[in-house]
Amino acid sequence: MNGMLFILQGVVTLMLAPLMVGLVRFFKARFQNRRGAVPWLPYVSLWSLFAKDMTITRYSSWVFRFVPFVLASIALVLAFVVPTFAYGVVPPFLSNLFLVGGLFAFGSAWLVLGGMDTASAFGNMGASREMTLAALVEPALYVSLATIAFAAGSWSLDGMLAHEAGLSWHGGALPLSFALGALLLVALTENARYPVDNPATHLELTMVHEAMVLEYSGPYLALLEYAAAVKLTVTMLFLFALALPFGLMHVGASPLAVVFWYIVRFVFASFIVAFIESVIVKMRFYRMQEYLSLALFVALAGLVLVLMQQFSF
Amino acid sequence: MLALLYGGAFLLSGAAALAAMALARSAHQSAVTHALLILSGLFGLAASVGYCIELAHGVVRVVPVYATALFAFFVTPLSGFFLALVFLGVTLTSWYALGYLPRYHTHYTLPWLDFATSLFVLGMVGTLMAGQPFAFLIAWELMSVAAYFLIIADGSRESLTAGFRYLLMAQLGFLALLVGLLLLAGGDPFASWAAVAHAAAALPPSARLGAFLLLLVGFGSKAGLVPLHQWLPAAHPQAPSHSSALLSGVMLKVALYGFILSVGLLPAVPFSWAMLVIVLGLASAFFGVLHAVVENDAKRMLAWSSIEHMGLLFTGVGLLLALPNLPVGADAAALTAALTGFVILHALNHSLFKSGLFMATGAVVAQTHTRDLDRLGGLAQRWPLFSGAFLALALSAAALPPTGTFFGEWLLFQPLAIGFRSAAPASSLGAALVLAVVALVGGLAVFAFVKLFSVMFLGRPRSSAAEQAGEMPLLLTLPPLAAAVLVSLSGLLLFPLLAQPERVRLLGLPFASAVLPGAAMSSWGVVFALLGSAAAAAAFYRAFARRTIRITETWDCGAPLTARMQYTATGFSAPIRFFFRALVLSKKTLVVEPVVVTNPWIAKRRLSWATESFWEAGLYRPVGRAAIAISASVRRLQNGAVQFYLALVFAALVGVILFAL
Amino acid sequence: MLRLLATVLKTGSKAEPVSIVADEHVLGENLRKAVTALCGGRALRIRHVDAGSTNAEEYELTALGNAYYDADRFGLSFVASPRHADILTVSGPVTRSMAHALVAAYEAMPEPRIVVAVGDGAITGGIWKDSYAVVGPVSSLLPVDVEIPGDPPSPRVVLEGLLAAVRSASRK
Repeated sequence: MNGMLFILQGVVTLMLAPLMVGLVRFFKARFQNRRGAVPWLPYVSLWSLFAKDMTITRYSSWVFRFVPFVLASIALVLAFVVPTFAYGVVPPFLSNLFLVGGLFAFGSAWLVLGGMDTASAFGNMGASREMTLAALVEPALYVSLATIAFAAGSWSLDGMLAHEAGLSWHGGALPLSFALGALLLVALTENARYPVDNPATHLELTMVHEAMVLEYSGPYLALLEYAAAVKLTVTMLFLFALALPFGLMHVGASPLAVVFWYIVRFVFASFIVAFIESVIVKMRFYRMQEYLSLALFVALAGLVLVLMQQFSF
Repeated sequence: MLALLYGGAFLLSGAAALAAMALARSAHQSAVTHALLILSGLFGLAASVGYCIELAHGVVRVVPVYATALFAFFVTPLSGFFLALVFLGVTLTSWYALGYLPRYHTHYTLPWLDFATSLFVLGMVGTLMAGQPFAFLIAWELMSVAAYFLIIADGSRESLTAGFRYLLMAQLGFLALLVGLLLLAGGDPFASWAAVAHAAAALPPSARLGAFLLLLVGFGSKAGLVPLHQWLPAAHPQAPSHSSALLSGVMLKVALYGFILSVGLLPAVPFSWAMLVIVLGLASAFFGVLHAVVENDAKRMLAWSSIEHMGLLFTGVGLLLALPNLPVGADAAALTAALTGFVILHALNHSLFKSGLFMATGAVVAQTHTRDLDRLGGLAQRWPLFSGAFLALALSAAALPPTGTFFGEWLLFQPLAIGFRSAAPASSLGAALVLAVVALVGGLAVFAFVKLFSVMFLGRPRSSAAEQAGEMPLLLTLPPLAAAVLVSLSGLLLFPLLAQPERVRLLGLPFASAVLPGAAMSSWGVVFALLGSAAAAAAFYRAFARRTIRITETWDCGAPLTARMQYTATGFSAPIRFFFRALVLSKKTLVVEPVVVTNPWIAKRRLSWATESFWEAGLYRPVGRAAIAISASVRRLQNGAVQFYLALVFAALVGVILFAL
Repeated sequence: MLRLLATVLKTGSKAEPVSIVADEHVLGENLRKAVTALCGGRALRIRHVDAGSTNAEEYELTALGNAYYDADRFGLSFVASPRHADILTVSGPVTRSMAHALVAAYEAMPEPRIVVAVGDGAITGGIWKDSYAVVGPVSSLLPVDVEIPGDPPSPRVVLEGLLAAVRSASRK
């Protein structure tokens, strides 16, 4: 049963990842009073990329060709490892918060290698920026996750979710609001969304993530875009599963409630991302240190809050 | 048997020194010396394996190697581990030297270099085997002085300056060690370690504190702890690459061993001392990695990263020292096991990947004749296998999964995040702060090593030196590759042993489980998950993608692109320099040389850029200035007037009499 | 922010209807193959190159992204690199300075690829035809699949022209 659920959870995430991207774009279009594309357009677009040839720069080496596969394999692992609607099903050694953080960093590192292997200043610039962000976001990521781990007494993402699900909302998610806020800031950074990066930009000088993949085409680009979609989906769904720990799959849960709350969280998460991107502007890259230290201090404040609750001063 | 093997390893490194001198005129001198060193390393490794098997069978004993009244050498489980590191490093670097040194036979005086290398190895082995302070100090000094000759081997002005700084620090450190150890031993340098521990227990607390601080200074200066680290990034890279590998990869571990040994001699370590070690460790880790990020000299960057990793190791040791003072309750055994496991795994991994990286960088330098990252690039296309080995080593140095280093650092992260939860809230918060710093260090380490690899190997060659690099010989590729393989194996084989000894009951190891309740980790699981998904992604790609590839120029909006338009290492690390500008003190100077005298606007403008160490500007210079100022004022006493000298003698006499009364 | 949101809600969608008349006789073999391979052209990525136009076409193309023309609803999107693109739109007579950039962008595009000449300048050279600074119309350098005449063509004409070509190619 648990094995089935484990596979189901991963497969559902893998299937729905492009839909999350499509939904975000759809909501953004609606915020701009446009009609926008259908939410399932990313599926079509990924498939048509797979049907294309590739052009590769002659200055790149084997590293450039490895990058899409490394990123895709990390995305696959993340899809199975990060709980999105069920808990108690992921093997504990995989659902480790430092493993997930390490995989994020591993993915960033490879993406940066891909950007550096293009011999073009665009890719190099994106690489330098992405590496800076990935390096400086680590403290906030680990402190916020460690805060939740601390409250839950468990190290696995799975165990955190189980802990949250076991409590009433005001007893579980509310004291963690700071940690969750910090995690949201981290998630926006990791997924190259506003205010850190503009995913829809055409101006190379403002790019972070996009600049590194400028030289990829066809199936390689499809793998990279898909990996990014999976990363966005798992981080946002995990975050909102912690914030709204209702209808999580476990023994005795009604399947109807699980499906209902899953859809609610899915739509809500994409709505929030679109909302953030519609109401705020992108920050200057050289102000990122303020944003990232804000994330760290919010996470530390969350830790103090949880400690105070735990030891009840 | 074990004693024979260990003794054989010891003597063989001495024999290597003799061979270097005896065969000085022979063409085969270098090969013979390094063959003897490899043999010594293999002997030592065989002894280490034998010792491990004994330990696994539950036989914990001290292996006596040689003992007289004057010198005593024996191997304990602690020194046995560090000896294994040394022998591993010696085997790898000497193997590499067989291919590396012949290219430099006009550059270095090989017999002397090999003589110094052998004595250096002898010194390290002796330090680790030493059974009393006397033997320890003699061997330590042999190691220090031999290292000086490795640093100045090429005789350049830069090397001599760096060597002088090193020697100064080494002698100050030695002085601190001499006084510290004698203080602990109650003045008897021939007492065995057990007797020293006994004497130390009887010391008053203030003397113990003094000894602790002196030993921290002595071992810390060798290990490159902030603020005594300034010599290290200057000195280590100046040595020939196989010696740099030994200096950074192995000698630093000897300093760590010394510190662990001497702390073990003290009866108890108060919390505040442990805090000092943690703070110094974290500061070293942070400054080391920060400079590694902004450094453009490939070998110096590796030396900075050594400071970072030694900082992390000292943090681990400091946490271990703090542990008995914290109310951690039931988790104490697991916490101790986890932190010990971290120190063991990380020391091993660091010595492997750092030796490997120094050897690999040395090979790159041998082919391109430059250490400047801004002049490298485009090498991955030419050397796929070599670049693969380098990338594996670089990812290990960045502690990313699934390399062995990640699993080592996991054992440090785990206690920090959750281990102190049953302790007081203050220590939980403190642990979280340590976690934040360690995470920042980890992130910056990824930055540093991604920069190193990508600027060296990816894109287009940034200079003709990199463009015209020839084939990479196999003899220079294999030792780094072996190091890369060994780092991966340490995660797969050693991590399960240390973390979950209950899983490997058949070995009967006396360890506690290092995994805290609520946590779990399996290195095999992680590696298989990643490999499996990579296979799945590749299979999907093969099944559905068109896979027709056309090679084109790099797309760049249509402007003609040159290699100079790529980011350099300087450009790549610019954001970090900007964000940490208060600590990295980078200085830009615009040099304007007029071309036409009548028109100031027509001029050659050159922007030069340099970073300066925070500690150099904030600590070393003021101390130096103060020392010179004091000396200048003291010099006024020496004014040449005999009457004044007589007055001084009289004053001294009065002073002595007053003091005596 | 709230006021903005209220405006957003009050305004609603203002997208203009576009009439697509599939016109079958202009189709080339390349276009047909390309559209068939790319899922019937339901999601096409466009890279635009200004090969020397007056920028009039660019203004009109920029308008495709706004709420009135909303090219997004037909699955058309502008991308940042020719390597990502399925369609290359070119405007203006190809000047000598831009000829290399245009060919480089085309070279970087992976097959199947579609070239669209937008505006009279791109199709014939317009009033700059035979000028010493101009190489010629786009078709003198690249195989053009779709031509959208106008000086400049209005956004609606661009949309209609593009979609008509794609639709009729996918119907075949």
